[in-house]
Amino acid sequence: MRYLSIQFATLPKALVWLGRGCVVFLTLAVVWRFAAPPPILVTLGAPQTVETLYPKMGVHTRMTDEVETWKIKKNYEMVREMGAPYVVEFFPWAYIENQKGQYDWQHADEMVDHARAQGLTVIARMGFVPPWARPPGTSVNYLDENNYADLGDFVAAFAEHFKGRIEYLVIWNEPNVSFEWGQRPPDPVEYTELLKVAYTRAKQANPNVKILAGALAPNLAPPDSTDAMNDLDYLDQMYQAGAQKYFDILAAHSYGWQSPAAEPPSPDRVNFRRTELLRDIMLKYGDGAKPVMLTEGGWNDHPRWTKAVTPAARIQNTIAAYDWCERTEWIAACALWVLRTPAPTYTFNDYFTFVTPDFDAKPIYWEVQKYARGE
Amino acid sequence: MREENDSTRVVRAWRFGSLPLLLIGLAMVACLGYLLFVPQAPAKPDDTWTRIQSEHILRIGIDPSSPPFVMDDGTGRLSGLDVALANEMANAWGVKIQYVYSGFDGLYDALNAKQFDMILSALPYNPTRTQDVFFSRPYFNGGPVLVVRGDDKTTTRLEDMRGKTIAVELGSNGDAVARKWQKRHNLDVRRFDTAFDALRALQRGEARAAIIDPIAFIDFQHAEADTGARAWRIVGNPLADENYIIAVRRDSPTLLREVNKLLNRLEGSGRLTELEEENF
Repeated sequence: MRYLSIQFATLPKALVWLGRGCVVFLTLAVVWRFAAPPPILVTLGAPQTVETLYPKMGVHTRMTDEVETWKIKKNYEMVREMGAPYVVEFFPWAYIENQKGQYDWQHADEMVDHARAQGLTVIARMGFVPPWARPPGTSVNYLDENNYADLGDFVAAFAEHFKGRIEYLVIWNEPNVSFEWGQRPPDPVEYTELLKVAYTRAKQANPNVKILAGALAPNLAPPDSTDAMNDLDYLDQMYQAGAQKYFDILAAHSYGWQSPAAEPPSPDRVNFRRTELLRDIMLKYGDGAKPVMLTEGGWNDHPRWTKAVTPAARIQNTIAAYDWCERTEWIAACALWVLRTPAPTYTFNDYFTFVTPDFDAKPIYWEVQKYARGE
Repeated sequence: MREENDSTRVVRAWRFGSLPLLLIGLAMVACLGYLLFVPQAPAKPDDTWTRIQSEHILRIGIDPSSPPFVMDDGTGRLSGLDVALANEMANAWGVKIQYVYSGFDGLYDALNAKQFDMILSALPYNPTRTQDVFFSRPYFNGGPVLVVRGDDKTTTRLEDMRGKTIAVELGSNGDAVARKWQKRHNLDVRRFDTAFDALRALQRGEARAAIIDPIAFIDFQHAEADTGARAWRIVGNPLADENYIIAVRRDSPTLLREVNKLLNRLEGSGRLTELEEENF
């Protein structure tokens, strides 16, 4: 005791004040820690199941840029309450593996766990190349053969991490469009190479995972176009390049634009049933055992856009589309675009949604829900 | 007694430091006087406006897929309210219009990349873009409106529809508004497949009013002019806002001022309504 008091007495004044400062700081820190409100807790809740008469129904969600957990949960609750068991969601590679080999699963886990808690089946779309996996100045959709192995590593890590939680992986989006192919002319042979790497690595990590070939953008681009390649030609050339061995399911996009859902398909028309022409190509190559999953599609009801239909026509077409999917044996799931966007876009894109950014269900949502309940 | 009180107040006021306040007040009056009465050099017009004036060309960014605002008939011939407004600009400013086509999603980026001078293309007001561009005052509000027949002289607001039947187009913005107010105002909402069907229900007396897209209403008035639909009226303001505006770059304040001046003049003279009538 005497020793201590001697020590204190001999300490410089500044140090004594520093010590006192530290005591005050620590006291405040402790008070702050215990006085601060607890973080907002959003629980997964009791496991739910989707009640629906139409088990192939689905919808694309936009949770990638949804920050708040309660909104993620609310989105999936509304999907379940609408009666759709499937959701398609984008898992950008660059968000998860921002540095080679370092994975941040936090947001992806949150999305998947909340979706599963609502009884939903997640179809995961892969894409969005991190800067370290592409040359400087290239777009986020640019990936060349030098980095296919990096994509393979990521897909393997994803399949492993979500083993038992995600069974369906879509490799890339609309590779037959230049914008989605890193501003290069679309190349079905190159895409088949990419698909081969992703398929092989995913199956090594999780043999149960199903690989979906990336959905093509339905279009009527002329043969000399560098912006896009006709989807039917592209799929045919994928088969010629040997893609058949490297996917389990074909993903497809089915937009109806101004045509009714029932309009028969034709090579010179882009309409909802154009998917049947993709199916014909699968049959031509003896690949009829594989199912097709619609991972985007639908109609737009903007009041002043030339590619839109009236809201009533959108509702009728949407229900007819879900109905067609249910009756079509080779369709495994039918996820239309899009439940909701996190914020308004103030463009025609707002009129593809079923729910507003404020979570107000649009009339189409209620009508689809009635359909799913058989009302 | 009264004088005594006043002087006491003055002393107290000085004590509480009104002198600094007085000085600040005087300084503010001096500044205001300076701004109001001392002649200022006119603000230098922005580069965009200067170029428009010197080259006599106004470049307008459009996505011609939004009737009745701007559409292309397939041969490159444009029409619509926005085209009519552009022609008014051409006349007022003595310039030629050069249209630059762009996808709707790329309009803002192309504007800021100086590919054109303004966006005039059925552009809705977007609060998230106010940091990126300047918006003009709105020139049209396309939000859903409450419409009644010409013989209805009493309805002045939605609340007057309590317990009455309202016709809407299924799934439209008008339907969404009706669903929102249905319970509160005890509305009997009837849904129809098209806006015209809803308005015909009003015509037949099956509904007391309709909540409808204003352009669809104008279309209907044109189509049913013989049946007295011209006398029908819109009650009050739109029930939700869908304002259409013109966007310019933030380095174009003079252009913005000129656009607003022109829009004010067109509205004040009734010309804007005429243009709507001609194009809707």
